[in-house]
Amino acid sequence: MTAVISTNKVCRYFGDEGETMVKAVDRVSIEIERGEFTAIVGPSGSGKTTLLHLIGGLDNPTSGSVELSGTNIAEMSGAVLSDFRRDNIGFIFQSYNLIPVFSAEENIEYIMLLQGVAPAERKRRVAEMLEQVGLEGLGDRRPNKLSGGQQQRVAIARAMVSHPEIILADEPTANLDSRTGIALLDLMKELNEKHKMTFVFSTHDEKIMKRAGRLIHMQDGEIESDERK
Amino acid sequence: MQTLKLAFRNLFRNIRRTILTVMLIGLSLAALIAVDGIMRGMITLMVENVTSTISGEAQIHRVGFRENFDVDIYLENSDEIEQTLRQDSSLDSYTTRVMSGAMISSSYNVSAGLLYGVDAQRERTISKLEQALVRGEYLSGTESELLMGHTMAELLEVGLGDRIVLTLSEAGTGELAQALYRISGIVDFGMRELDDNFVFVNISAARKTLGMTDLQTHEFVLKFHDPADAENPETELFQTLNDEETEALGWLDLNREIGLIIQLTEFSSLIVGAILFLLASLGVINSMFMSIYERIYEFGVIKAIGTRPAAISNLILFEALLIALISCALGSALGYLIGLYTSNYGIGVGDMEFSGIAFDNNIFSEFHVSQFTQFPVYVILLTILAAIYPARFAARIVPSDALQRSL
Repeated sequence: MTAVISTNKVCRYFGDEGETMVKAVDRVSIEIERGEFTAIVGPSGSGKTTLLHLIGGLDNPTSGSVELSGTNIAEMSGAVLSDFRRDNIGFIFQSYNLIPVFSAEENIEYIMLLQGVAPAERKRRVAEMLEQVGLEGLGDRRPNKLSGGQQQRVAIARAMVSHPEIILADEPTANLDSRTGIALLDLMKELNEKHKMTFVFSTHDEKIMKRAGRLIHMQDGEIESDERK
Repeated sequence: MQTLKLAFRNLFRNIRRTILTVMLIGLSLAALIAVDGIMRGMITLMVENVTSTISGEAQIHRVGFRENFDVDIYLENSDEIEQTLRQDSSLDSYTTRVMSGAMISSSYNVSAGLLYGVDAQRERTISKLEQALVRGEYLSGTESELLMGHTMAELLEVGLGDRIVLTLSEAGTGELAQALYRISGIVDFGMRELDDNFVFVNISAARKTLGMTDLQTHEFVLKFHDPADAENPETELFQTLNDEETEALGWLDLNREIGLIIQLTEFSSLIVGAILFLLASLGVINSMFMSIYERIYEFGVIKAIGTRPAAISNLILFEALLIALISCALGSALGYLIGLYTSNYGIGVGDMEFSGIAFDNNIFSEFHVSQFTQFPVYVILLTILAAIYPARFAARIVPSDALQRSL
């Protein structure tokens, strides 16, 4: 299989060199193959989010490289990086994911507007995604009229609607009750299997971890273990 | 379009802040329109008072006369000039005057002053001499009648019917001449310079006292149909009359200090406007930054999902543009209402003299098309200019920093 995500001794240090320097991610080398459903797990402060940010091009590594489908994103910046993220990566964050003044439909549609997708195609894909995440009939609601679980479903729909290669989710179930969290992850898993997209998400919830196809354990910015089920 | 829609909806996220910002900018615009209207009204009143009190919109003299009002420097060819004036269609009216410095004596006191010999009928169309009459009668043509400023009358301790002796130099010979007049009226222009120093007699009597013929005149005073002609040195009449012997000047050239006062007034208006908009701009910057800091996580998210920095910058600028447009509508409407009130009812300034100019009327605000075209454009440009810094800040937000709350 082909590695869609490849990091090579990637490091992200914060602060000045010396005792005050924090090694959030330290010499991490991983390869994630197309279609994998991978969880990055570890305690708070272990470097999960920083690693996701590095993979997603939201932060620049101190050293090392991050390649997505063979492209070193550490060398990109500005509009080029924005366009790369728009076309290749879907993001789901743990909360406040959505633009509050847009309806669920408009939030999902937003990324396609950035891509310049034709109106009819946008409408078709929005309807399709709302159906897939089980939110038919709720598309005109603004985020404050949706439950936390429904909001995360909209975020999943938004992340997937542009058919990116990779979906990165930073603790997507952290603010949800466990039943809703598990249901959301099952949905992500289902979509992963259906669309063969690569999912990488961080969590420290053991019930969630069990649903991952691959577990990368982090501790103090380093990979402690990497196991495939 | 999507950015504009997002910008529009964002205005309603913190409606109180949007209203405050709109009010700040809108009230600044309204204040600027009101101040400009009042300044324009004040300038009009100032010009009106300058031109209609005594000096007219333009004057014609022999070159050199204005330097020291020498009685010997008079216009010899006044009939030719009158013919030119009669034929000029741009003129509404004109009058002739002779004048001389004089020693003005009563039975009790003596004062130096200026004698004006005026054509009583024509003077009505040019100056406020008749309106300034507070006691007695206006000039009827009788040789001995004289109008005197009320403060001079107090100084000379005289009243209506009292005798006044004028001592002056005859034109041409320089011989001292004296003439006896009786006070037929007391005038009050509300301008110290006029009320302290001027006496007015019929022009025929003045010419006789000064030893001048009917064709000899010191001054023509003009009033145009369009007052703007008087302000333009290129006006055809001026071009025709001005030569080595004769000077024809508009009121702006005759009263250069008034021109400076008008420039100063306009400059004051500009300063007021600049201060108002500096304050409003600081308000816009503050409001925009508050709005950005409140939404910093959201900016992190939309940037993460692929929104370009320029699009985020445009979003902030669109928000500023919409605020500016709403503010302009509010400010223009409010400015119009204030202007409408002050143009109908005026602002009372009482009897005031400023730099030798009497303000005895209300100042009536004046509308001008620039108040509702240029000023709003300035507001929009300044608001957008003020939003550039916050917009650049928002565009440079690093997603991972903005998303720290998710750590």
